[in-house]
Amino acid sequence: MEKLIEQLSICIESGKINRNSGYPPQLKGQDGADEIARQALESGIKPSGILEGCMAGMQRIGERFGRNEVFVPELLMAAKAMNTVMEHLKPYFQTGEVKRRGVFVVGTVAGDLHDIGKKLVAMVVEGNGWEVIDLGVDVSTEKFMETVGQKPGCAVGLSALLTTTMVNMEKTVKFIRDKYPQTKILVGGAPVTLNYANQIGADGYAPDPQGAVHLLDRLAS
Amino acid sequence: MTSREMVRSSLAHQETGRVPVDFGSTSVTGMHVAIVAALREHYGLEKRPVKVHEPYQMLGLLEEDLQKVIGIDVEGISPYETLFGFRNEDWKQWKLPNGPEVLVPGDFRTIKDANDNTLIFPAGDTSVPPSGRMPKNGYFFDSIIRQEPIDEHRLNVEDNLEEFGPVTDQVIEYFRLEALRAKATGRGVIANFGGTALGDIALVPASFLKHPRGIRDIEEWYLSTLTRQDYIHQIFDRQSLIAVENLKKIRPAVGNAVDVVFICGTDFGTQTSQFCSVDTFRSLYMPYYKRLNDWIHANTSWKTFKHSCGAVEPLIESLIEAGFDILNPVQCSAAGMDPVSLKKTYGERIVFWGGGVDTQKTLPFGKPAEVREEVLRRCEIFSGNGGFIFNTIHNIQGNTPVENVIAMIEALKEFNGQA
Repeated sequence: MEKLIEQLSICIESGKINRNSGYPPQLKGQDGADEIARQALESGIKPSGILEGCMAGMQRIGERFGRNEVFVPELLMAAKAMNTVMEHLKPYFQTGEVKRRGVFVVGTVAGDLHDIGKKLVAMVVEGNGWEVIDLGVDVSTEKFMETVGQKPGCAVGLSALLTTTMVNMEKTVKFIRDKYPQTKILVGGAPVTLNYANQIGADGYAPDPQGAVHLLDRLAS
Repeated sequence: MTSREMVRSSLAHQETGRVPVDFGSTSVTGMHVAIVAALREHYGLEKRPVKVHEPYQMLGLLEEDLQKVIGIDVEGISPYETLFGFRNEDWKQWKLPNGPEVLVPGDFRTIKDANDNTLIFPAGDTSVPPSGRMPKNGYFFDSIIRQEPIDEHRLNVEDNLEEFGPVTDQVIEYFRLEALRAKATGRGVIANFGGTALGDIALVPASFLKHPRGIRDIEEWYLSTLTRQDYIHQIFDRQSLIAVENLKKIRPAVGNAVDVVFICGTDFGTQTSQFCSVDTFRSLYMPYYKRLNDWIHANTSWKTFKHSCGAVEPLIESLIEAGFDILNPVQCSAAGMDPVSLKKTYGERIVFWGGGVDTQKTLPFGKPAEVREEVLRRCEIFSGNGGFIFNTIHNIQGNTPVENVIAMIEALKEFNGQA
């Protein structure tokens, strides 16, 4: 059993989606995250154990990304592998059999159409056991407010890549703060700094996805 | 020393007496049209709408009167067509959502969507889906991804080569005339002939094509650099061979009127890291960069210009080995990009074209005194023994306070003893 979970975590870390996937070359022809997740469920491993295997893999790749040992494409592949496992686990999330660490609502702020950085954060956070609601790009303050209203206790992540759009973070932070003062808000993106996060009243800033996970875990505990 | 001599000396890593200055010569060293308009007003120049000569990022054309006031030493030659696939001609008035009336090319055709975003069409053809979107209250466009479903077994490298073909006589004649015009200004000349950028993520979605095929989605492209390396090799191989053949035809038409050729704007850096490992850079990109740079160095006097944002310090050695003479925009705010260390380690072997002032923090959000201080410090650090062309770190964005831009220009003049 433990062997399957370990194999699963290796598939996630190395971005091995399924048997047909040719990447990574060293695992060509072998089962991927999809097949192993299915085998694990069939062999009676608890869904929560499978999620833990996922988390171990995502944590390792996230840390390597933070140390500049792997790069955006490798992280995207790991996230793709993780998504196939999440499909298997979906019913158990819905029934509540598998608990997650919390809800993370994330989006790129109004006027900004950049997706990848925010998406990487969303994927790594999800892979570390959080339910993620990705609102996409060019997300209005109203949309953030509406979602936070529907998900009491959620944490929020705001992303911006541009100096012309990071200013829109301030408005969103202020509106969320005013109506939902307990909500934890993280900000990130190329021009964003810890200083700026403090200045606009956010709870935290992370320079990379794994940093966002650490911050969320700390804020949620 | 004329502007051109000064640029050439600096590119040759020789002392120039003052720092040569670029603004507006390329799509990565320019100013948003609203800033150009504000500067014209500040300096009391003739009142007329500014031309948007690069519609993707809405960069404004710096005309002779403003170039003189600022003290610009570099003249640009743009590609034959813009990023939206039309020519810069038949100018018409257009109201910037966030700013003044400007002039745009006749084929700059837009509509508004239900959310008040501005959509623009490739080659001005409104019968096909739009290829660019400027968000409501935005300042410039981003590509709309038009990715057909990818069938691994039917991927054909020809689909990703649609935009790379033999240069026509018409295009060669355009470059010939442009070279004459640019040379007559007395400034150093940088030309972007097109077709030499390897996997520039601004170009991959092909906002200039009406029906792009192949891999055109940004995320899919990044994944492909990992999972479909054979496919990417084939694109770069074919593309660089075509580019060399085109350069062979363009060179006699422009000759030594051109000092610098813009090769590639592919970003290899993020704020804290790179988009690929040094090993991947050396195996996937370097052979083709080398092919381009080697031909240029063997057959022309042109210097070659590489743009890459972000934390690219680990790649600079390889960029030099690939034959690049110039690095831009020298993003000193990214990890490992300390200006003193960059100048000390690489300053004798690569020209820093940029790095003049930070555009993530100081220029848009700082005070004029902070801008002045940073400009003076950067000029001091980068200008020793030449090897430096002053430019901001990438284009000046539309919401930058104009008093900061003026503070930058005045600081430059102060450093150059022209105040």
